[in-house]
Amino acid sequence: MLETLQNLYLGFSVALSPVVLLYAFVGCIIGTLVGVLPGVGPLAGISLLLPVSFGLDATSAVVLLAGIYYGAMYGGSTTSILMRIPGEAASVMTCIDGYAMTRKGRGGPALAIAAVGSYIAGTASVVGLMFLAPPLARFALRFGPPEYLALLVLGLLVLAFMSGGSMLKSLSMAALGLLFGMIGIDPMTGFFRFHYGLVELGDGIGVVPVAVGLFGLSEILLTAGQEKPPEVIKPRLRELLPSRQEWRDSTWPIARGTLLGFLIGIIPGSAHIISSFVSYAVERRLSKHPERFGQGAVEGVAGPESANNSATSGAFVPMLALGVPSGPIPAVMLAAMMVHGISPGPLLIQQQPELFWGFIASMYVGNVVLLILNLPLVGLFVNVLRIPYPLLYPAILVFCVLGVYAVNGSVVDVGIMSAMGALGYGLRKFDFETAPIVLGLVLAPMIEMSFRQSLSMSSGSYTIFFHRPISLVLLLVALGFILLSLRTLFTKVAEWRRKLGLEGEAETKEPGNV
Amino acid sequence: MLTTDRISGAVLVLFASGVIWESRSLPLGSFRQPGPAYMPVLLALILLVFGLLIAGTGGRAAPLASISRREWRHAAAILVVSVFAALGMERLGYRLTVLTMLAFLLKCVERRSWALTITLALAVAFGSFYLFYTLLRVPLPIGPMGI
Amino acid sequence: MKKTNCARGPISRRRRSIGMQLVLALMILPLAMAPSAFGQERFPDRTITMVAPFPPGGVADLTARPVAAAMERILKSPVVVVNKTGAAGAVGMSYVANSKPDGYTVLMALSSISIIPEADKLFDRKPAYTMDQLLPIALISADPTVFVVNAERPWKSVKEFVAEAKKRPGEISFSSSGVYGTLHMATEMLAHAAGIKLKHIPYGGAGPALTAILGGHVDTLASGPAVVIPHIKSGKLRPLAGWGAKRVASLPDLATFKELGYDIEFYIWAGVFAPRGTSQPVLKKLRDTARQAVNDPEFKSAMEKLQTPVAYMDAPEFQKFWDKDAKMLADAIKRMGKIEIKEAK
Repeated sequence: MLETLQNLYLGFSVALSPVVLLYAFVGCIIGTLVGVLPGVGPLAGISLLLPVSFGLDATSAVVLLAGIYYGAMYGGSTTSILMRIPGEAASVMTCIDGYAMTRKGRGGPALAIAAVGSYIAGTASVVGLMFLAPPLARFALRFGPPEYLALLVLGLLVLAFMSGGSMLKSLSMAALGLLFGMIGIDPMTGFFRFHYGLVELGDGIGVVPVAVGLFGLSEILLTAGQEKPPEVIKPRLRELLPSRQEWRDSTWPIARGTLLGFLIGIIPGSAHIISSFVSYAVERRLSKHPERFGQGAVEGVAGPESANNSATSGAFVPMLALGVPSGPIPAVMLAAMMVHGISPGPLLIQQQPELFWGFIASMYVGNVVLLILNLPLVGLFVNVLRIPYPLLYPAILVFCVLGVYAVNGSVVDVGIMSAMGALGYGLRKFDFETAPIVLGLVLAPMIEMSFRQSLSMSSGSYTIFFHRPISLVLLLVALGFILLSLRTLFTKVAEWRRKLGLEGEAETKEPGNV
Repeated sequence: MLTTDRISGAVLVLFASGVIWESRSLPLGSFRQPGPAYMPVLLALILLVFGLLIAGTGGRAAPLASISRREWRHAAAILVVSVFAALGMERLGYRLTVLTMLAFLLKCVERRSWALTITLALAVAFGSFYLFYTLLRVPLPIGPMGI
Repeated sequence: MKKTNCARGPISRRRRSIGMQLVLALMILPLAMAPSAFGQERFPDRTITMVAPFPPGGVADLTARPVAAAMERILKSPVVVVNKTGAAGAVGMSYVANSKPDGYTVLMALSSISIIPEADKLFDRKPAYTMDQLLPIALISADPTVFVVNAERPWKSVKEFVAEAKKRPGEISFSSSGVYGTLHMATEMLAHAAGIKLKHIPYGGAGPALTAILGGHVDTLASGPAVVIPHIKSGKLRPLAGWGAKRVASLPDLATFKELGYDIEFYIWAGVFAPRGTSQPVLKKLRDTARQAVNDPEFKSAMEKLQTPVAYMDAPEFQKFWDKDAKMLADAIKRMGKIEIKEAK
């Protein structure tokens, strides 16, 4: 403990030197700028800007990247909230209630809550990282394919709690998303499925073009042609900050999101993406007014944003403690360190303490810098809404194209975005929700791979899922969820029957939340 | 009566059947060793059932005619512009593509004045290029004659 | 189609002006034009693009950046690295193979360049590109893979491992970066040479494959030395042998398979390619630049930090090396065939 604090002091003395601090600031600004591009989240942000850091010394480079990473993360939630364009897969849930808040004139508070939630989650998870890294990392390594599959199944089940609309429709959209995820080269046998002559589909269709298309582009398509363009929202300074009630409503979601995100984040693989979906579902489940979700519930912004942020910090646990590239973002960070001749791993903490602790400290610093930078920026960003929509949407479209293209340098992705925009437009006309498609698309390749890997490991025996303690526990929890949702289904059916018997008239359909 | 749910359910059923048909060339594998077509077929079957359920229970959903179609011309124009971006990006380069996109949307669709159209289109096309390509080194395609 | 949208635009019914027609004409223009194509007199007079077909932070990207930087210094003209990723590198490689052979688009490819066309053949697919669409410029690095086992497994030598694998065919497992990926090929070559059968658990990339062996979910892995050395030092993994012709410099005690009597060699290499059809003077210029680049001190120190040995070869020599390597991989893929899937009947 004392040693940790001493080390941390060493770290801060590195991170707070003026030059390093300058890089933290520069990183946060660059990250925010790039992150505002639709589709460019922290992963694409640091991948794109990785080369910029090559010319610096190791500590500055790592600090710069940490800053970019935090900045991009925050930049992504800005577009989600103000324009319903997800910065990355993890911001999809933020789009729903964040944008609903904006339409009600509460965009400023939503941004502020997102910033504060991210700050708290970021800082708290760094504390977790600092004290718990080695034991947690060892635990995380025990997640092999069977455990991973059990976790993903659990993630898929949260769908049942995610949406307010028809469960049948949500499930069919999830199935559709999972089917989209089947496109590409089969990772187990090398067969190229559903490619129709496009080499670019080899790795499947990306989450970014799909999310930007289904959310951002479909919103433009629906809104631009309205006879009355959406009214220009003129934010008043007083309304930029969250009300006391909003703060109170956000406290627990932030706390729960932070914990949840961190736990999901440490597991190697891309599971961290589901943290925001799970957090949203949990908040909706626990809320006394679940019907407010989708209509601008502040909990629906606070929870997922915090979860998303602490999950990505959690993903650094196995990387720093064990030198394992445990997810896409740590993998890029790992590469950045290797470029500077550092090989992260069990020996890093002993051999180069100033670097390890400098990194930890710079994550603190990055969080603080971001908060200082962004709270004033909330006012600036919100002013974007003053632009009349007919002038704003062409520019939004351009930025969608730019962001989606930049992630992979692929025009096919731009094409996919267009197709998904049309699909999302149609689906929303027919009263379907599109978030389950994104969740399905994210989960499909991981579920299929871990399922088939598990069966390869056990030579075809399904008992592998029950012989391993972690996967058994997760599957039992999943079973509990199913039983729970069946119960609500039964009560719903009973209620419906009662209603039918009493009134004998057709239910009036709720107006769609388009 | 044709309701929204009947239509959407039917479309899902059609799509799912299409996927199953398209999977025929891939090996299905077995329960103990699933092949490349196993998951797609399984998922398509699930979607098929869901589609049937939606169509079947959708008799009381909103009638098809209730869907507003007022904005479809705008939507179609914007979609065309976005497909144009995909086709034009690597042929015309980023700046020309964006310039054209904006000019079309602002002038033809939104009927703004020439002055506004040109100013905005130039500013966004060249401004964003300068910011992201020149300053932030995000690789963007350059068109003929280096524009 | 576009015209109708415009003319019958919902907002106004005014007549189209000439300017608007111009805009329309511009929109149709790209459909008729090929991707950028313009001649040159002195090479290079504009930016050279080096395509890395893998994401930033991967081996191809990390090798391409110092090479591009060194070439930029030598040519005094910009050389930028662009990541065109997807389909295990096939997207970027076919992009370069099909780009204009003017020397302004070059490729930094890895050994997998020889695998993808063979895999396409195996599955009767229209190939993304063929190898004769690309000309080698220079080999930059070649890193022999090393064979590691999880340290909790009992095998201390290749002999013990092979003996056990013969006793339990198809039960000892290995992870790989993906089916028909480089790491898969390396282990399959070993299995073939030793006459054993192993259980393959493919993962989505070299990182997850490493995580799997560290977590004990698989028993063995073939990997580039740089990424496993920290784990060998910390005692989590045990190296049994290397695939190189010579021992790995950073693991001097590790025998090679050749020394142990298995005639196999495997390298993860990185080299620069240009599309076929590039003119001789331009090719020469690129080759000269590459030769100077590998001797550039900054380049050398960058590669040292990455712990990747520079193994420069000029085009003729590289072509021979490549032919041999490609043939070996093609044979291995033909031998392996498609992954066996029992049909449910």
